[in-house]
Amino acid sequence: MNTDFGRVVVIGYGKATGEILKYTDDRQADYGYELEFIEHEPHVLGVTRQICEERGIPFASMPDKRELAGYLGEIQEKTLIVSASNNFLFPAAVVERENITIINFHNALLPEYPGRNAPSWVIYQGEARTGITWHYVTAGVDEGNIIIQKSCEIGSDTKAYELTETLMDLAYEGFCECFDSVLQENAEAKPQGFSPERRMYRSSEIPGGGVLHPEEPTENAYRLLRSVDYGKSGIFPPVQMEIDGKRAEILRYRKIAPEKKKEGTDMRYLPFADGELLKIKYRML
Amino acid sequence: MEEKILEVLEEYCEEALSYTGDNMMEEGVIDSFTVINIVSELEDVFDIEIDAKYVVAENFRNKEAIIELVRQLVEE
Repeated sequence: MNTDFGRVVVIGYGKATGEILKYTDDRQADYGYELEFIEHEPHVLGVTRQICEERGIPFASMPDKRELAGYLGEIQEKTLIVSASNNFLFPAAVVERENITIINFHNALLPEYPGRNAPSWVIYQGEARTGITWHYVTAGVDEGNIIIQKSCEIGSDTKAYELTETLMDLAYEGFCECFDSVLQENAEAKPQGFSPERRMYRSSEIPGGGVLHPEEPTENAYRLLRSVDYGKSGIFPPVQMEIDGKRAEILRYRKIAPEKKKEGTDMRYLPFADGELLKIKYRML
Repeated sequence: MEEKILEVLEEYCEEALSYTGDNMMEEGVIDSFTVINIVSELEDVFDIEIDAKYVVAENFRNKEAIIELVRQLVEE
């Protein structure tokens, strides 16, 4: 198999990145490119370093944006950069270089939900479906032509971290499907076709402002809680609510059947329309 | 307590019960998403808070480490 790319650089963190790293390593023999991995955002439970060590893949940690931009900007050979679960925004000086092609995995069906934390926003907005997009990277955020998309349903109890896991599996699946065409430079990439209402989600934005209003339908509260639930990762601060005129932060929540209701301290139950209950454990601030 | 913890592990990662090594994360027995599920369930079952500082590979290296972590937090 032939490609003009002499080098493949994988950047990212998390499950999809690890799988993609292994896949690109496995395919190295087919194309003969040099492979390397750059860690820009370390993950406390990440396994990419181990994968690199086990397989002998060059590994570099570059948490500094300027250092990373400078490193990429000095690459001379024709290079494919695979940005998988990566929040580093490639500067124009890198993107516009003729010898560099960058593909990025976005965790939504572009052009919908560009920007950060898309799984949270699709849950919060009550979408029934979402998916992933592999696209070419341009100087604009999440604006490049679409290479491949994969979609999935969003369950009525799906939490952000669960959806993220599904999307990472889809990202890996999509990557395997399009990798050859990208390397061979014959991928049929399609323009996104932006609507005037296109809205960019920023990292500073929190669904619902991060505040739960118990007087609203419990379905809304549950959607809010699920949308910001990434376990202990701290992507979002704990959701807050007002209790007896004072602020409290929600520690955990669960949808339960009414017969499982147990009184406890710092606990509140909100009724769903179908009779089930939303159990909320909180801490006064 | 141990029995309850093993029940949680069985629900979310049965393989962890028979694992005898010392690094479930590295060896692919458990991944970060499964850890989130286990943490969430353990918090609910034992009514404890497992702070993010405890959610590291070291504390999820095998079932014994998880049991020890919960034991410490319950006794606090």
